[in-house]
Amino acid sequence: MDRRKFLKASAGAVAGAVLASQLTSALAQGALEGEDLANLEKGLRQVLGKGFRDLTVSQQVKLVAPTIAESGANVPVEIEAGLPADQVKAIHCFSDKNANPLLFTVILSGVLPYYATRVRVAETAPVRAVVETKDGKFLLASQSVRVTVGGCG
Amino acid sequence: MAINILVRFNPARPKAGEDVRVQIVAQHPMEPGTRRDASGKVLPADHISELSVTMDGQLIAQVKPGPGTSANPLFAFKMKASKAGRVKVTCKDLNGQTGERTADLTLA
Repeated sequence: MDRRKFLKASAGAVAGAVLASQLTSALAQGALEGEDLANLEKGLRQVLGKGFRDLTVSQQVKLVAPTIAESGANVPVEIEAGLPADQVKAIHCFSDKNANPLLFTVILSGVLPYYATRVRVAETAPVRAVVETKDGKFLLASQSVRVTVGGCG
Repeated sequence: MAINILVRFNPARPKAGEDVRVQIVAQHPMEPGTRRDASGKVLPADHISELSVTMDGQLIAQVKPGPGTSANPLFAFKMKASKAGRVKVTCKDLNGQTGERTADLTLA
């Protein structure tokens, strides 16, 4: 192989590698580990009558969950909304890959928009907190939880 | 057998206007209905399906846990301690068993 051909070939390889790394980083930002939107959509329709596209991702919802859970049978979850207490109607929580994606629903009427509990997560999947406001908006926060031992089997 | 419920306030005696965390623990296996016993039979679902919290007779929060809630679940809320009062927690599971517990919130 002469010098010119080698340069052309290596330039192509480098460009390809850069493109690939950009793609994977875009994926890492866009999709969470173990995402299963089809199953989640089913649960959302059943509980809220809304689809995933009707939810707005919001910084006002704070979801605290471990990134790695040793046992899926006992995952502590904490949800807090940065909204006035009288604007929040309910808090829902979903997990993408559970047989029944709805983990719980809390209807608040007089307490601060905060709820903490422990949930079961079947396998590595995002946990999603959905805060329902009085004016009919659904605010979403998601976090992926990596599960080593499933909690539903 | 009635479901045993524990209620705790944190801080135990809050100052007026302070945020108080109400921690509720129900002693219940919360069987999700997907687990199998040693012989491979599916254990029927048996979990708390409804839990209500009232303060002086007024409903302040209602939880509807699905099968995806851990055994001996914790339910924690936060509220403003504006006045002393009686907090009452009632719950019901899929087998029709109920539990009830009252706790008095006192201010410092």
